[in-house]
Amino acid sequence: MTPEGSFHSNNMAAFCKGRSRFKRVLLQQTLIRNLSGKFDYDLVVIGGGSGGLACSKEAAQFGKKVAVLDYVEPSPKGTKWGLGGTCVNVGCIPKKLMHQSALLGTAVKDARKYGWNIPTPVSLDWATMAEAVQNHVRSLNWGHRVQLQDKKVQYLNVKGSLVDEHTIRGVSKAGKETIMTAENIVIATGMRPKFPADVPGAAEHGISSDDLFWLKESPGKTLVVGASYVALECAGFLTGVGLDTTVMVRSIALRGFDQQMAGLVTDYMDSYGTKFSWNCIPKKVEKLASGALQVTWDDAGPRGENRETFDSVLWAIGRAAETGMLNLEKIGVALQKESGKIILADNEASTVPNIYAIGDIGKDRPELTPVAIKAGKLLARRLFGASRELMNYDNIATTVFTPLEYGCVGLSEEEAERRHGKDGIEVYHAFYKPLEFIVAERDASQCYIKVVCLREGDQPILGLHFTGPNAGEVTQGFALGFQCGATYRHLLETVGIHPTCAEEIIKLNITKRSGLDATVTGC
Amino acid sequence: MNYVKLFAKRASLFQLSELYIRNNVAMMALFRHRHLIISRTMASDSVTRFDFLVIGGGSGGLAGARRAAELGATAAVIESHKLGGTCVNVGCVPKKVMWNTAVHAEFLHDHADYGFQGGSVQFSWPSIKNKRDAYISRLNQIYRNNLDKAKIETILGNAVFTDDPEPTVEVNGKKYTAPHILISTGGRPIVLSDKEVPGASLGITSDGFFELESLPKRTVVVGAGYIAVELAGILSTLGSATSILIRQGVVLRNFDSLISSNCTKELQNSGIELWKNTQVKSVSKTEKGLEVTVVTRDQEEEEEAKISTIREVDCLLWAIGREANTDGLNLKKLGVKQDEKGNIVVDEFQNTSRQGIYAVGDVCGKALLTPVAIAAGRKLAHRLFEGKAESKVDYSNIPTVVFSHPPIGTVGLTEEEAIEKRGKENVKTYTTSFSPMYHALTTRKTQCVMKLVCVGKEEKVVGLHMQGIGCDEMLQGFAVAVKMGATKADFDGTIAIHPTSSEELVTMR
Repeated sequence: MTPEGSFHSNNMAAFCKGRSRFKRVLLQQTLIRNLSGKFDYDLVVIGGGSGGLACSKEAAQFGKKVAVLDYVEPSPKGTKWGLGGTCVNVGCIPKKLMHQSALLGTAVKDARKYGWNIPTPVSLDWATMAEAVQNHVRSLNWGHRVQLQDKKVQYLNVKGSLVDEHTIRGVSKAGKETIMTAENIVIATGMRPKFPADVPGAAEHGISSDDLFWLKESPGKTLVVGASYVALECAGFLTGVGLDTTVMVRSIALRGFDQQMAGLVTDYMDSYGTKFSWNCIPKKVEKLASGALQVTWDDAGPRGENRETFDSVLWAIGRAAETGMLNLEKIGVALQKESGKIILADNEASTVPNIYAIGDIGKDRPELTPVAIKAGKLLARRLFGASRELMNYDNIATTVFTPLEYGCVGLSEEEAERRHGKDGIEVYHAFYKPLEFIVAERDASQCYIKVVCLREGDQPILGLHFTGPNAGEVTQGFALGFQCGATYRHLLETVGIHPTCAEEIIKLNITKRSGLDATVTGC
Repeated sequence: MNYVKLFAKRASLFQLSELYIRNNVAMMALFRHRHLIISRTMASDSVTRFDFLVIGGGSGGLAGARRAAELGATAAVIESHKLGGTCVNVGCVPKKVMWNTAVHAEFLHDHADYGFQGGSVQFSWPSIKNKRDAYISRLNQIYRNNLDKAKIETILGNAVFTDDPEPTVEVNGKKYTAPHILISTGGRPIVLSDKEVPGASLGITSDGFFELESLPKRTVVVGAGYIAVELAGILSTLGSATSILIRQGVVLRNFDSLISSNCTKELQNSGIELWKNTQVKSVSKTEKGLEVTVVTRDQEEEEEAKISTIREVDCLLWAIGREANTDGLNLKKLGVKQDEKGNIVVDEFQNTSRQGIYAVGDVCGKALLTPVAIAAGRKLAHRLFEGKAESKVDYSNIPTVVFSHPPIGTVGLTEEEAIEKRGKENVKTYTTSFSPMYHALTTRKTQCVMKLVCVGKEEKVVGLHMQGIGCDEMLQGFAVAVKMGATKADFDGTIAIHPTSSEELVTMR
C-alpha cells in the first residue's frame, strides 16, 4: 500500500465506520509504518498561518510529501475566517489597511491646508471600508490555497491534534476524523486573543481583534482595554476613522518597548483624539436595555469606581497559546506552565525530537509574522535540504502602526543602560519636523529619533528608534545596517536623501548627555 | 564691518587658546590667529579680511561657513539673491511641498475606495503657493538667524574677483579677502536662446515653475531628466493636461534600465502624454496661448521627420539640464580652471586650480544634490580649520530620490554600470515587481519595482534601484548598509518588517 493509498483508505474507513474503527485503523497504521518504515507524509504542519504555510511550501520545494492542517475555531462572538492565520485574517493585513484608511482621514484635514477645497465634511462609511478590507482578505485566502496547490502541498481543513509522535488526528467541521502519519510534525497554531476571567460580561459582551476586522457595521463608541501594540493600533485607527475611542490602561503602554518612545506614541494619540484612562482596571460589563454596554472600572486615582457606556468593548489584553487541544503533553511535548507555549531548542525542536514548533506558539519567540515565516523556511531547509542554518532571533526590527508610526530595531534605551551602564552608552537624538507636517500645520512634537550606541570607538549601534510617517518603510533599511553591525560613524558617513524624514537619522548629532536642544532647525 | 567687535572676539579666542589648547593642530590655529591679527592691523582699510570667505549662500556654502565658524574661523557669506540657494528657494523644498500637494490629489482620488464619503474637491493653486512662499521666507530668515548666531557676516550682493594679486572679492564696491575662499554659487536651469529655438524664451524653467500664480490648464514639459519627470508629475497630478517631450525613447536614461522603463510607463499610466524622439522646433504666441511646433523622428527606424503642433499651451517648461553659475565671477583671470561646460574643476578635496580657492556643490557639476554639497562644505571646513588633511567627501554610493509618481529611490551602480565594471559573469541581479498593499483597496494602481545589483561570489550589493509608493523614505537605511558593503546574504539575514513594501528588499529570491 502506498502512503497515499493508506491515507485515502483511512479517510474512507473513518468516514464509513466512525469512531469505533479509529483504534483498529490506528493499529494498522502503526503496523504498516513499522513494517515499511514509511509514513503518509514527510511533514505534517498543524496550522496554516504565516509560519506553517511558509514551512510547508518550502518543504514541498524539496520534493517532499507535505500536508498542512488548518482549522479556525470561531471566536466567542462566532467570527471565523479562511486560510492564512492571524496575519492575513485578523492581524497585520486588515490592521494595516484600516490604519491606511485612518491615515487618509488625516490626509483630508491636511489636504485642506495644501490648497484643496473640500466643501462638505468627509466621513467614513465603516461598511464600505470593512467590505473592501474583507474582500481583500478573502482574495488572500484564495491566493494561499492556490499557492499550496501549485506547490503540491495537501491542504486539509481539519482540526489537528496528536495521537503519538508520528500520528495526527484531524477532525473536520462535520466531525469527520482523519488519521495520518508523518515523519516530522510542525506545530504552528499561533495564538488567540485573551478575555479576562475575572470580569463578568467581558467575553459575553466584548469583542477582540478576532472580531473587529470582520464587523459589518461600525463598532461605534469603543472602549479598548489594554495598551499592547494591538490595543494601540486598533484604538488608533478607530479614532482615525472618526469613532469616539477610549483606551483603558492598567499600568504602562507598549511594555517591552522603549518607554520614552511609548510615551511619544500615546501622547500623539492623545492629541489625535484618542482618550486614555490610565491606571484603571475594568470590573464588569453589562448590557443595558438600550443595547449599550455599561462598563464599570476601578480607577487607581482618587476617582475610584467609575462607569460609562460604550457601543463596543474591545479586549486587547494579550494573547494566549491554544495548545490544550493538541494533546501535546500526553505524548511528551513539554509546555511552559503559565503560558502554555511549547519549549523549544535552537533548532525549533520540542522535547519530542521529530516534533517542532514555529511562530507565536514557541516559548520566548517574538510574535511576528516575518519571524515565523523565516523560522518556518529555515526549519524546512534543515529538515529536507541539508541546511544547518539556524534562525537568528536577534536584531529583529518591528513597527507599530499607530497613528504616528513607531519603528525600532535593537535595544530600548532602558535595556541598553541596564546592560552597559549609563556611562557606557551614548544616545543621539532629535526632534524633527516632517516637511509633510509644515504646510499642514500639524504638531510634530512627537516626531523623534533616537539612536542608542555604545560609547566607545566608532560607537556601535545598540538600538534605533523612530516615530514619524512611514516608520515601517524607514526602519527596514536601518535594520539591515544594524544586522551588518552599523556604528554611529557609518550613519555619519552616509549621504542624506533630501528632503525626507529618514535623512534625519543620518543627520543626528546631539547627544542626550550634552543636554542641548535636540530640535532640528533648517535643512 | 565692526572691527572692534571682531577684535574683542579674537582676544577672547586667544586667551582660550592659551589656556586650554594643547594639541598641535590647535597650536597651528593659534599661530594663524596671531598672524591674522598682525596682518589685519597692517591691511588697508579698504579690504576686509576673514579666515573663510564663502561666495554663495546655498546648501554647500552655508554648511561650510557654519562649520568653519564652529571650528573658530571668522567667516562671511556673500549672497546675491536669497539665502538657502536652489534647494530652499527653487529646488528640493518647494518641489517636495508641491509633490506632497499632488500626493494629496492621489489620496483624494482613492478616498471613495477606502470607504470615505464626501463632496467633490477643488484645488486652489494660489492657496498652496502663498503657504509655500511663506514657509520659504521663514526658512530664509532661519538661515539668516543661523548665520548671525554663528557670528558669520552676511554680505548681500554680486561677488566679482578683482585683479589684485591676492585673491580678493568685490561686492557693492567693497573688497573682501581671506586665505581660504569657497565658491559655492550653484547652478541654474539651462535656457535655449531664440536663435537655437525660435520663441524659446516664451517658455519658463523650473525657476519659473515656482513663480506660477495659477495651475496651467495645458502644460508642455521638455526634457527627460529628473526635474522634467518631477514637474510633469506634479502638474499632471494636480490637474494640468500635461505632455512631456523627450529626445529619445525613455525618461531618466542615466538610471538603471528597470527604473527608466518603469518610470516612463508610470508617467503614461498616470495620464501624461509622452512624445518620444521629439524636439521643439519653434514656439509662437497666439491669442489662445502658445503654439509649440515639434519634430518627431525615430532615429533607429530611420523614419521621416514628422512635424506637429501642440496648441493652446499655457505653460511651456524647459527642463533640459542645469549649468554652473559662474558668470560675472571673473574666474578666468583668477586662474580657476573650468571644464568645457563651465563647471569649476576641482580635485577630490574640492581644491580648484588656484591655491586657496575651493568649490563645492552644483558649481562643480558633479552629483548635484543638497546633501552632497553640505557634506563637501563641512568636510572642507574640517580640512582647513581643524587640520584634518584627509577630510573629503566619498562620492560613491550617494543615494538619490526622484519625487516622481510613485517616487524613485536609487543608490550605487546601475546594472549596466556594474556589468561594464565587473563583467557580465560577475554580476547577478534580483528583481521584483508587485502591487503595494495600499492599492489592495484602490482602483487606481501603481507598481512597485525593485532591483538589487550584486557582484562577485559574495554577492556584494553594489546597486539598489526601486520605484514605488514609499521608496522615498525607504532608501536611506539601505544606503547606510550598501555603503557598509552589505551582501545579499546580509539582506537575507535581516528580518522583514510586516506589512511594508520595504520588506520585499530583504526577501528577494
